[in-house]
Amino acid sequence: MLTDTLAKAILDLEEEQVIVLVKERLAKGDSPLDIVESLQKGMSEVGKLFETGEFFLSELVMCGEIMKDAMDVLEPHLIDSHSGNKGNIVVGTVKGDIHDLGKNIVVMLLKGAGYNVIDLGVDVPIEKFVEAAKESKAPLVGMSVLLTGCQEAMKQTIDAIRAEGLNTKVIIGGNYIDELVREYVGADYFANNASDGLKVAKQIFS
Amino acid sequence: MNEKVAKLYGERLNRYMTALDCGKPDKVPVSFGIGDWIVKHTDNNFQEIFYDWEKSIKAVDDILPDFDVDVFGGGPTLWWPPMWDAMGSKLYKFPGMGLDENSTFQFVEEEYMKAEDYDAFIANPTEWIATTYLPRISTEFENPSSLRGISALIRSSVAFSEYNNYMGASWGKWTVEHGVVGQFTGMTKAPFDTLGDALRSMKGILLDLRRRPEKVAAACEVIVPHNINYALSGAGADTRFPCFAPLHRGSYPFLNPYQWENYYWPSLKAVIEGLWAKGKRTYFYAEGDWTPYLEKIAELPDKSIVFDIDLTDAKKAKEILGGRFCLIGGMPTTLLTYGTPEQVKEQVKRSIDELAGDGGFILGAGGVVMGDAKKENIMAMLEAAREYGSY
Repeated sequence: MLTDTLAKAILDLEEEQVIVLVKERLAKGDSPLDIVESLQKGMSEVGKLFETGEFFLSELVMCGEIMKDAMDVLEPHLIDSHSGNKGNIVVGTVKGDIHDLGKNIVVMLLKGAGYNVIDLGVDVPIEKFVEAAKESKAPLVGMSVLLTGCQEAMKQTIDAIRAEGLNTKVIIGGNYIDELVREYVGADYFANNASDGLKVAKQIFS
Repeated sequence: MNEKVAKLYGERLNRYMTALDCGKPDKVPVSFGIGDWIVKHTDNNFQEIFYDWEKSIKAVDDILPDFDVDVFGGGPTLWWPPMWDAMGSKLYKFPGMGLDENSTFQFVEEEYMKAEDYDAFIANPTEWIATTYLPRISTEFENPSSLRGISALIRSSVAFSEYNNYMGASWGKWTVEHGVVGQFTGMTKAPFDTLGDALRSMKGILLDLRRRPEKVAAACEVIVPHNINYALSGAGADTRFPCFAPLHRGSYPFLNPYQWENYYWPSLKAVIEGLWAKGKRTYFYAEGDWTPYLEKIAELPDKSIVFDIDLTDAKKAKEILGGRFCLIGGMPTTLLTYGTPEQVKEQVKRSIDELAGDGGFILGAGGVVMGDAKKENIMAMLEAAREYGSY
């Protein structure tokens, strides 16, 4: 049971109340980081309910929207402060595919769980993935794909990452992703939903 | 049509019709189309196949003699992109036009309809589409009364009708020469998808369900008669073949059960029942996983749909819908891409064993078969269908 009223407002998807509470706590002089922590606590509960099948994508999308609005309020106060960072993860939708819903949900949940997510966006060229993985030394790279026709691009991207000798794990996610696809493209993990992806991240960063 | 082709056509048609009515034909009917996967077996890139209809038709002509299917899903392109290009449509990117020339088309999702447009849409959807929506999504039609706007509309309409005429003639030729039986006539959608896909967008409509649910319900309700009429007029007078209904947000886990039952299902059910009252069956193209909703779907009038199994639990679909509705599926689309011909054949055998039972089953691919599917796997599927498909 959540005792934090802000976290509970997130869990109840009460968008107006969340903004009111964030503003109240800022006015009271609470540290912006503590407020972010409350938001994350609420979001992590939302993630759990999604995992157990009590919440659906409609709740996740709503939660994402509330978080975005709350972060818009908090952002100016967060400059210079450093949040508790569990590590870097590079995420993007592979070349040729412009679908971003699944990727955005994963990014939101990863950020909520305290990771520093480097979101490369959609239709990401192979070199951009390699460059970002190299620069950030991220232990995990996540690739999203909806169109099976773009799965080949995933294989090429993974090949390129391996060819650079980068010691990063790769997780692939999307609707038509399964063990067969994972093996073909040479990824380390696959996930069909955001919560499975989160579990893999937890495992790698533990 | 010569005698041999006529006989073939009769056999195929009979198989399809018998299965649609949940009966047991002589063989399990098999359904398949010539999708994007054909492109790499031609001398053309995607852009050529999309933009040059003669090349697109030729790709079909070349393979049809070896393509033994009872139900034919059509050629590699959905429509001719110039009809969109003439309007300067923002809705799609096509191969070579905003995308790599060897990539398939993609939809550009935006909130083209704003939350504040609901009232005008509900009051008169046709007027709103013509006067607000079309100018908003079309760079050439921003000003509908300008010469440029009118000319764009004319060019686009001409492109649409030219393409339809050309395709009509091609289907006629395929039927006469190869005994091809088409999968469907006409098209419709779930009203919630009409609203969610190209109007409010996925994110927009999901947020609406919390912020303004009464508007979503009212908008879906006004769309119902349009989606019934659209299906019937697109199909001409035909009621033999089902109308295609690609379904999107009703798949698990987009909506919670309350939202599904109260906002997705009632208007879709009304469309299906409205069509069935006119004798028109719906091809319930259930992309994704619909397992949690099978019991609700079973409330539809017997035989009013043919249910396409993509990621839905096939055994449960058979258990809950079987006998009352024809089922189609049995071949996972990923297997056609990454499997071997042997694995594909095993899958065909397994699916026929599990699903064909007393009839009312058509073997087909679950979901969209894309450009990376292997031709040898598709041919193995068709071969195995004949090998294992006799009742």
